[in-house]
Amino acid sequence: MSDFPAGIALTAIGERAGALPAPHFAAAEITAQQEIAPEHYLMRLRDARVARGAPGQFVMLKPTRAADLHPVLPRPMAVYRYLPASNEFEIVYRVIGTGTRVMSERAAGEIAELVGPVGQPFRLADALDGLLVVGRGIGVCSLTAAAEAAAARGARVYAVVSARRPDALIGLDLFAALGAQVFAVTDAEGTSDPARVAEHLLPLLRLGRVQQVFVCGANRLIELAARLAAPHGVEVQVSLEAHMACGIGYCHGCSHGAVGESEEAPLVCREGPVFRANRRPPPTLDGRALQAAAHD
Amino acid sequence: MSNPRLAVDLGAGLRLQNPVLPASGCFGVEMATLVDLNALGALVPKTIFYGARAGNPSPRLAETPAGMLNSVGIPSRGIDHFLQHILPAYRRFRPPTIVSIGGLSIREYWDLAARLNGVPGVAGLELNVSCPNLEAGGLEIGASPENVAEVVYGVVQRFDGPVIAKLTPNVTRINDIALAAEEAGATAISAINTFVAMAIDVRARRPLTGTPTAGISGPAIKPMALRMVWETARTVRVPVIGMGGISNAQDALEFILAGATAVAIGTANFTRPTAMYDTIAGLRRYLAEEGVADVRELVGALRYEAFGPAAPVDAPSAYGPPEAETPPGQAARLSGTPGSGHDD
Repeated sequence: MSDFPAGIALTAIGERAGALPAPHFAAAEITAQQEIAPEHYLMRLRDARVARGAPGQFVMLKPTRAADLHPVLPRPMAVYRYLPASNEFEIVYRVIGTGTRVMSERAAGEIAELVGPVGQPFRLADALDGLLVVGRGIGVCSLTAAAEAAAARGARVYAVVSARRPDALIGLDLFAALGAQVFAVTDAEGTSDPARVAEHLLPLLRLGRVQQVFVCGANRLIELAARLAAPHGVEVQVSLEAHMACGIGYCHGCSHGAVGESEEAPLVCREGPVFRANRRPPPTLDGRALQAAAHD
Repeated sequence: MSNPRLAVDLGAGLRLQNPVLPASGCFGVEMATLVDLNALGALVPKTIFYGARAGNPSPRLAETPAGMLNSVGIPSRGIDHFLQHILPAYRRFRPPTIVSIGGLSIREYWDLAARLNGVPGVAGLELNVSCPNLEAGGLEIGASPENVAEVVYGVVQRFDGPVIAKLTPNVTRINDIALAAEEAGATAISAINTFVAMAIDVRARRPLTGTPTAGISGPAIKPMALRMVWETARTVRVPVIGMGGISNAQDALEFILAGATAVAIGTANFTRPTAMYDTIAGLRRYLAEEGVADVRELVGALRYEAFGPAAPVDAPSAYGPPEAETPPGQAARLSGTPGSGHDD
């Protein structure tokens, strides 16, 4: 379907069996907002429907007040944590532009408009002893809710958390609270390149500790996980990021990857953001497949 | 004046319960989960082509101040898929569905018109002769009065119903194109589509969108769109659907006063899915506050001083008030800025 990243085939994960709550447009109260790391904020919002979404789903959040028209687009925000008991959920974001800066200036008690919950969630295996999540930067936020769900089912969680600097590592507290085994790696310490990350992944895969790997935040980590997991029959699911306008499939702004002759690549908002990732199929007599395999 | 009349007539039997509809490409029945589509003046699906096409490579979106660039390039699964899977979903709603059609060639518009003629649930056609993101057709068709006329004429021969030409702003004189479309048989004019635009990532030294240029929409283009709608409405006799950065009732009223019979809302649907509803409510409030019984009284009701040449030498007048207008010296005042749409 999509040929991105090189050597990896992404396939749509399909509609989840069992109904997901339909997305709605809501004025959600901001119930908490705090800076959790330099330029990183956690926002908690109250919306009963989103609070009953599934791990891997996201919301389209209007960063500004209701009538403000700039910036024009809402921001896709992964749900970091679901708090259904209080009808709340949390997002974590990094200030990278006008929209996220305005978001960071909003205060508890204000209203934030949103559309959600949207997107296809992660699929946790029925028989799951161990889940490995591999996240980089703000991409970790797409994995935390899945890690919580896995832990709640009694699975052991392993987490590779990657960032540029130690103070930008996201979710360490949350993973610790789940009793997860955490491997924190950073560019600053020279521990985050794929070869070093592979040292954490390989033992878990070889020893059969995990049955699934969920990845978000870096193409090279997606590529690494898919390559290492394949020989062990371990399933890899990834959550992709994209610029979005509508978030529910009608604008076609978030089509992912290269386009074919006549078939559009999948939409990240509707077919994703969670996709299955596999190494490209083995070479066949078909020239294109041989050529693709040569890139591995 | 508690219940002002909002219904408008776009000609050729296309009657709308109110003058607010979505702009093609910025709307889909997917929105039914968010808002009540039956409250709209009309429904307009994303442009379709005759055959299947993938659209442009990603990234297809970028933001600029108060604006959005898109290089989507109209992916379409073709007419058969539209008739089988998309149109039936629109039939579930009461407002008329105006089907937006595109083409890489003049012939493609004609073929689509023939296929859509007489199909239940197709209340009219909007001819997208103005997409700036196509590999062929696009502006070669939309910027040429002769080519637009040919598209419209061929469609009118094949489709019995309202035919709306949606014009590009990427021309020197939009009234030339509008007049050509009207003379060829268009029953209404939509103005405008996106402006060709560009944004660059200076670190990567690459365009921000997957194609080097893209179309810009949103509040950033509203003043330019308004000027073009005003010029268009002064030139043609058929109704004009104004669009281009309209986000609220204040914006909609500007377009209506400039001569638009109806207004379409596009990018603002992304900003806020209730933008069309807020606009309808704000129009109703303005009419009540201003003591106007019927929104049609406002169409083209702009008061202004004449300026520039009264009649350009080789074209219908784009400047100067039409006959029987307020005498000079008495006008140029827009009273009662409503401010509605900003207070929800």
